[in-house]
Amino acid sequence: MNKTLAAFILGIIVTALPCFSDGGNLLVKNGTILTVTKGSLPKGDLLIIGGVIKDIGENLKAPEGVRVIDASGKFVIPGIIDAHTHIALSGTNETGDVITAEVNMRDVIQAEDLAIFTALTGGVTMAHTMHGSANPIGGRDITLKMKWGRPAEELIVPQAYQTLKFALGENPKQASRQVFGGAPQRYPATRMGVNAIIRAEMLAAKNYMLQWERYLKDTKGKNPPKTLAPPRRDLRLEALAELLRGNLVARVHSYRADESLKFIDLSKEFGFKIVCFEHIPEAFKITRELRTEGIGTSVFVDSWAYKVEAAEGIASSAAYCTKNGVLVSINSDGGERMRRLFNDAGKTLKYGGLTEDEALKLISINPAIQLGVAKTAGSLEVGKDGDVAIFNEHPLSAYARCEMTIIEGDVYFDRAQYLKEREEAAKQAEEAKKPGGGQ
Amino acid sequence: MSTLKKMSALMFGLWACAALSPAEFLPAYALVNCRIVPVTSPVIKKGIIIIRDGLIESIGMVGNIKIPEDAEVIEAQGLTAYPGLISAHTNLFLEAPKDQQPGFDEERAPSRPLAEKAVQKPDLQAFELIKPNRSTIDGYHRIGITTVLVAPEAGIFAGQSVLLNLNGENPGAMVVKIPVALQVNFVSERNSYPSSLMGTVAFLRQSFLDAQYYSSYRSQFARVQKGMKRPEYDPFLEDIIPYVIEKKPLIITCSNQEDIKRALRLREEFNLNVLLSGANEAWRVVDLLKKAQVPLLVSVDFRPPASSLYSQEGEQEKKKAEKDIYPANPQVLAKAGLKFALTSFGLTDPAAIQKNIREAVKAGLPQEEALKALTIVPAQFLGVDSILGSLEPGKIANLVLATGEIFGDKTEVDKVFVDGKLFVMEKKPAEKETIKRPSDGGATNAEFGVAGFPKPGQ
Repeated sequence: MNKTLAAFILGIIVTALPCFSDGGNLLVKNGTILTVTKGSLPKGDLLIIGGVIKDIGENLKAPEGVRVIDASGKFVIPGIIDAHTHIALSGTNETGDVITAEVNMRDVIQAEDLAIFTALTGGVTMAHTMHGSANPIGGRDITLKMKWGRPAEELIVPQAYQTLKFALGENPKQASRQVFGGAPQRYPATRMGVNAIIRAEMLAAKNYMLQWERYLKDTKGKNPPKTLAPPRRDLRLEALAELLRGNLVARVHSYRADESLKFIDLSKEFGFKIVCFEHIPEAFKITRELRTEGIGTSVFVDSWAYKVEAAEGIASSAAYCTKNGVLVSINSDGGERMRRLFNDAGKTLKYGGLTEDEALKLISINPAIQLGVAKTAGSLEVGKDGDVAIFNEHPLSAYARCEMTIIEGDVYFDRAQYLKEREEAAKQAEEAKKPGGGQ
Repeated sequence: MSTLKKMSALMFGLWACAALSPAEFLPAYALVNCRIVPVTSPVIKKGIIIIRDGLIESIGMVGNIKIPEDAEVIEAQGLTAYPGLISAHTNLFLEAPKDQQPGFDEERAPSRPLAEKAVQKPDLQAFELIKPNRSTIDGYHRIGITTVLVAPEAGIFAGQSVLLNLNGENPGAMVVKIPVALQVNFVSERNSYPSSLMGTVAFLRQSFLDAQYYSSYRSQFARVQKGMKRPEYDPFLEDIIPYVIEKKPLIITCSNQEDIKRALRLREEFNLNVLLSGANEAWRVVDLLKKAQVPLLVSVDFRPPASSLYSQEGEQEKKKAEKDIYPANPQVLAKAGLKFALTSFGLTDPAAIQKNIREAVKAGLPQEEALKALTIVPAQFLGVDSILGSLEPGKIANLVLATGEIFGDKTEVDKVFVDGKLFVMEKKPAEKETIKRPSDGGATNAEFGVAGFPKPGQ
């Protein structure tokens, strides 16, 4: 796409801001409904009231005043969930230090990032948007719904896991080299260093917790001494203490099997929960360990060998891990792949032979489980949020295109309407160019 | 004496005086037959203002005010007197010290160790950095601005601002209030900690926490002494404690709507005394601001922030938004009943500042609201409303004499008084060269050097 065209299309988007006029009430009629967890209806209806799925079945009636969307010949699926991306943020890495658990992506949500809109065009309704992988311990991540046009705070999914980003391997090793050219390299510069610095920080966090416990105990004593003073509050250690208390869970960027296994050891030593290894091209080598520990993976479906630590990735990794009992999700890592995650899921049919349902799970219920939102999202079930994507064909088809994206019963993307508005805007632009046109 | 004065006035067109000092002699002035807009009291259609010793001595309708014998009478028929305008956030006259130029220094990068904390100078006084100059002051006089807040600009804790009257080039004599507030910016610098916005927010939080901790530990230690480990002396925390504990004011610059939310969160978490500056996206968070009741120093810089959709859409949309959308910011705030000051923050060209103030009025901001936002409101926000911000006896004689409604398109500023010192606007600013040569006679009269500024060595 050339620049002018891109600028032109982006120019139109502003006019295509979502309509929220449905008040969270919608009836989607006559579509092929793929619930993901409760089978499929070849011709069914889906009723959303107050943002929540009220009913799924045949011949449902719309209560008065509820908008009806005709989905005849179309496929209705749960809104796609991206378990690992970096969109909608002002900044990705805090490279000023090696351990930066004190930073929180919640503080830098950028609700006007156009990537939210492009995500909607690919049926994505929710994304876990994360600190980058420059630091062995990055920062806290945030789960957002793609409510384009709404203020930042309304995007946050409060019930999602509070997560803390870790990174192993080349990225934290090389972060300083990339940033500072000829500058003295920062510590750590090796995998063993990465492991060691994380371990040292965990020990510091344990000590921090101990200090606080001791202090709180002493204040509760009968006659606390006059010399009793609280420990200094340290936001960095506090985040790690939250991890050790189980209020935060770890999301770990890792590539190789060995470093991942070492990290599992570390998590056991300190007793914190790893939800997911991110990318992990070598996951297929350690499926037993992942399964036993209940650790999932969030992966690119078909990227490997783009760097040495990714050399041993295989095409069927996602499928293989799935078949071996690992909870797998397919992620985008950024705005570009995010709008075609359904294509990515489709690849697992060919490479690894997953069933359609299994493949769809990789971009719906599995990431929902990994984000801790399976009670409200990830499948079409009565009582869950009305987050829905409507496709022209089966979403795993190579010809699939998202036609409409709905979040909590409000239409946030409607391709037909968008194209119409785009055409009108183009016409107006043409008019304006004519002599005497414009105002 | 009086005759002599009048002769000089004839010769130079106006009265020249030396730099202000408490002992300095300033003539008394009587501005007669002008329309007076005092801002805090009703308009006087035809009135008299007596100025003496840098203050407004009296003010009233023609006939009600006696003109003192020693006063220089200035016929102001057809002119309107307003209080001098205040821009409550600028970076005027600042010369960055050489060792802390903002921005990334490629050449020095290799020698700087990683994770070095960015230099924070909460104790830096903007006053130490200012180099006032005539042409800038002249430019601001021409648009009616007589008072500016100058805030340091580099760093997260940038330093302390100073309120200046644009009365000459002597910094000490210009000061109205010092320090005014601690300037805080959501900035970061590559190659140091923090290097990102998220890091900056975390750093601010940690700094405020540390100040609380340090302060409480220090006082506990002062009480107990024996048996307690003595606190480590921390000059940085010493400098920010007054703002965290004693609730002295902080000005946080907000370049977009999210910055406003970030600043308000910090304000709430640490119960800070915060003024929000910049805030040209305040219109997008009106409900939040209504709840917060926070002093707003709203810039008339209407360029959409980089984070906005308009900017992401390319130059054309950005320009369109700058022209059509952002100038309505003050109007939206006024309609919502929010109290705000207007500032020139982000703009340096006086013509652009004036144009943008007029744009805000054209976008629907009532003139009287605009006037308040540039006079009494900033004076209140900055805690100087007993001496500035309106035309009242006893207040500082900062006045603008304009040829019409001050925000009118064709209105020009004819004269200003700053601290009772008269500056007459040269009618043809283009002819600067002639102005600079006193030997050119007539043309020099209106120029600063003669009007308000001492000549070098005087």
